[in-house]
Amino acid sequence: MAEEFNTEGMLDMFLFESGQLLEKLESIVLDNKDADGFDEAAINEIFRIMHTIKGSSGIMMYTNISTISHKLEDIFYFLRESQPEHVPHEELTGYILDVSDFIQGELQKIQDGEEPDGDEKDLVGQLEAFLKKIKGNGGTVQKHEEPEEKEKAYIPAQQYYIPPVATENSRFYRIRITYEPGTEMSNIRAYTAVYSLKEIAEDLLYTPDDIITNENSGDVILAEGFLMYVQAQATKEDILKLIDTSSCVNNIDIQECSAEEFLVGFEPSQAEGTTEEKGKETGNSEGGIIIEAAEEGSSAAGKHSEDPKPGDYVIKSKEPGKPKKMAKEQNQAAKQSFISVNVEKMDLLMDLIGELVIAEAVVLQNPDLKVPGLDLTNFQKAAAQLSKTTTELQDAIMAMRMMPLTNTFQKMNRIVFDASRKLGKDIDLEVVGENTEVDKNIIEHISDPLMHLIRNSVDHGIETREERQQTDKPQRGKITLEAKNEGGKVWIIVKDDGKGLNKHKIYEKACQNGIADRSMEAYTDREIYSFITLPGFSTKEKVTELSGRGVGMDVVVKNIQAIGGSLDIESEEGKGSTMTLKIPLTLAIIDGIILGSAGSTFVVETGAVKEFVRVTEDMMVYEPNGDEYIMIRGTCFPVVRLNRHFHLQGGGESVEDGIMAVLEHEEKQVCVFVDELVGEQEIVVKPIPSYIKKVKGISGCTQLGDGSIALILDTGGLV
Amino acid sequence: MVDLEEKVQDEDTQRGKYMTFKSGNEYYGIGINYVNEIIGIQKITSVPETEDYIKGLINLRGKIVPVIDVRLRFRQEPIEYTDRTCIIVIDVKNIVVGLIVQTIAEVVSIDDSEISPPPMIGGASNNKYVYGIGKAANGVKLLLDPDKLINDKDVSAFEQMTEQ
Repeated sequence: MAEEFNTEGMLDMFLFESGQLLEKLESIVLDNKDADGFDEAAINEIFRIMHTIKGSSGIMMYTNISTISHKLEDIFYFLRESQPEHVPHEELTGYILDVSDFIQGELQKIQDGEEPDGDEKDLVGQLEAFLKKIKGNGGTVQKHEEPEEKEKAYIPAQQYYIPPVATENSRFYRIRITYEPGTEMSNIRAYTAVYSLKEIAEDLLYTPDDIITNENSGDVILAEGFLMYVQAQATKEDILKLIDTSSCVNNIDIQECSAEEFLVGFEPSQAEGTTEEKGKETGNSEGGIIIEAAEEGSSAAGKHSEDPKPGDYVIKSKEPGKPKKMAKEQNQAAKQSFISVNVEKMDLLMDLIGELVIAEAVVLQNPDLKVPGLDLTNFQKAAAQLSKTTTELQDAIMAMRMMPLTNTFQKMNRIVFDASRKLGKDIDLEVVGENTEVDKNIIEHISDPLMHLIRNSVDHGIETREERQQTDKPQRGKITLEAKNEGGKVWIIVKDDGKGLNKHKIYEKACQNGIADRSMEAYTDREIYSFITLPGFSTKEKVTELSGRGVGMDVVVKNIQAIGGSLDIESEEGKGSTMTLKIPLTLAIIDGIILGSAGSTFVVETGAVKEFVRVTEDMMVYEPNGDEYIMIRGTCFPVVRLNRHFHLQGGGESVEDGIMAVLEHEEKQVCVFVDELVGEQEIVVKPIPSYIKKVKGISGCTQLGDGSIALILDTGGLV
Repeated sequence: MVDLEEKVQDEDTQRGKYMTFKSGNEYYGIGINYVNEIIGIQKITSVPETEDYIKGLINLRGKIVPVIDVRLRFRQEPIEYTDRTCIIVIDVKNIVVGLIVQTIAEVVSIDDSEISPPPMIGGASNNKYVYGIGKAANGVKLLLDPDKLINDKDVSAFEQMTEQ
């Protein structure tokens, strides 16, 4: 037992990590999908992701994943090293997504306890062909590099090369080694020299720089000598000693040079004109200079690949003027700082904290403290500190279960991208309010229905390019995906500017299927639209790859209903459709305002409150039938007295004793009269136990900081 | 296997044991296997427009639990809650409900043979909650059917209503 290699934990870790990496990969790809190519940060990131996946899947013995990620890694290695121009970006994007899908599929199999048996060969073949193609495209300069590409690919080049900062004691040397004519393998000899200097060198540059990988470099060395720039805290003699002088070396010329010269490297023209400028740049970006110089070299002096040394890797540092990409990278760093926790543990923690709050109240309001003449100053101080901490603790756990919809929405981005590409439609996806937080359980349930809706919009909603041209719509279709908190629910809205729903077609189809049995006029628009959510209904004549089988909408509705939500369909023919998912906010955190009425505590969503008004008796209007209205600044609002509305005992009768809260729900406004305004708090909404029948005007309950329960007002039920 | 054995054993040890409490002058008993825990009376948030015996909601370590007043359920006169008032949290078919009782008594063992059906005379309306009368060493206990206690007909009636 003990010696058994524990793969359980590793497997979980592997699945989780790889899943996250793939998500990140997809988000990078989709962020760049409309660009002409990947920028450097993206290339590096993708390379790193593929490298990690390759490594970890290798350890887990999933060879097909490992092979395929290896291939993609190769491609990005090439992109990174050679920076070829003319890379067919769209094709590449497709391949990346294919690979991502493949790996995701395999991961799913592993998760389900199956063997990951997907056949990677096709895709690997395609990737290889693609790599060849871009190498060909790279122009003549890249050509000679091809033979060693394979070899290079195996070099685990994940380290970034950052030139060490020169210290005061550092000295710079220019070294030229010339070999006797006819020396064989002079490039290897040159490399030996480089290798021996590595021990003392703080930084080292040499040309030709591809001595290991390019056999022809030997000829260059013989003809022109081997040139090195070395930064080291050593004397000339030390260096001379280290370089092997025993065989075939004709002459070693070591000259001390300035730091500027060193930084400029091998580009003579740079050395003359721009030394000063280069020096300046050294100040702000240590990493950039050498490589930039090297890049210059590549254009002037032929192929100058960044780094031939195994294990080292030179990257062009970020140029100024790319603040957006920097920001994005920070964003990614933030994403990585997530850990996954078992939900059960979270629930336990939540319960325990609840108990802690109660225990706290028991201690702080202990009757033993009420002995007269007790000096409690220090106790009170400590108690205040304790209360503060427990409140914060409670807030933290309440917020913990909530997750923004960002990831779910990002997936939709991918779907729009795939679907629109397959159908040849140009579609933009606009995402609004992706930071709306929803309980994790709910997120899991809405992902699939949302996918269906988006697919429907892409496939049925948005017209083809030609159709759009005939109308005066912009050529690019647009789908808006929006999330917001509204009336105690989370609304997720999918809106497209496509052709909208055809009422007559739907009605006819419904008649054919025996769903509709009345005349068309007897149905409201909304009822007709709701036909499409019934099983087996699809107006689309032909079934496409994406949708049209008529299993979509009823599944959507079923799934949404399973979590207590609903689906609203609005549509205007020719203008587009709007599908609104209304998800209950079970456990959704809302900002609430706490109100007191007749000894009871109520919470109303902050967003629903327009204002609070202290009113006077003369603003009231009483109807004989008992209805009350109030005039506030010339507008008349109906008044709901919370204590009367809920038949509570007590509570202020005079409107001048309490306060009016003006609430708004879907354009309708109502004035709610309460006794007092208690405060504002972020609250976690919990459903009222099903044992208690549903009360109109109350949508849930919540636990306040002191452990007591407040009821949440459903503004919609009051107006 | 081990779990199963334990469970069987558990059920065995719980068999024939009843949590008894006092309401009015009578002692009532409830099968101990239904009882989750007993807590002191705490702040109850009343829910408007519900039956009067549903006193409201309590916060049981972060769980919202509805509580009902047994006295009101039996249509007895309400009494003021004191330090002796307790809430018995019971779990009936995954519905967790708190019962407010006047005083907790003790756990008694009543053999099945000592339980007789309630007399059907007199049309005492609350008899529908009592499924048997148990004779324990220190007196007679009215044994409650918790299922009926919380899932009364009118309860299920309005449950149906809300489902629609």
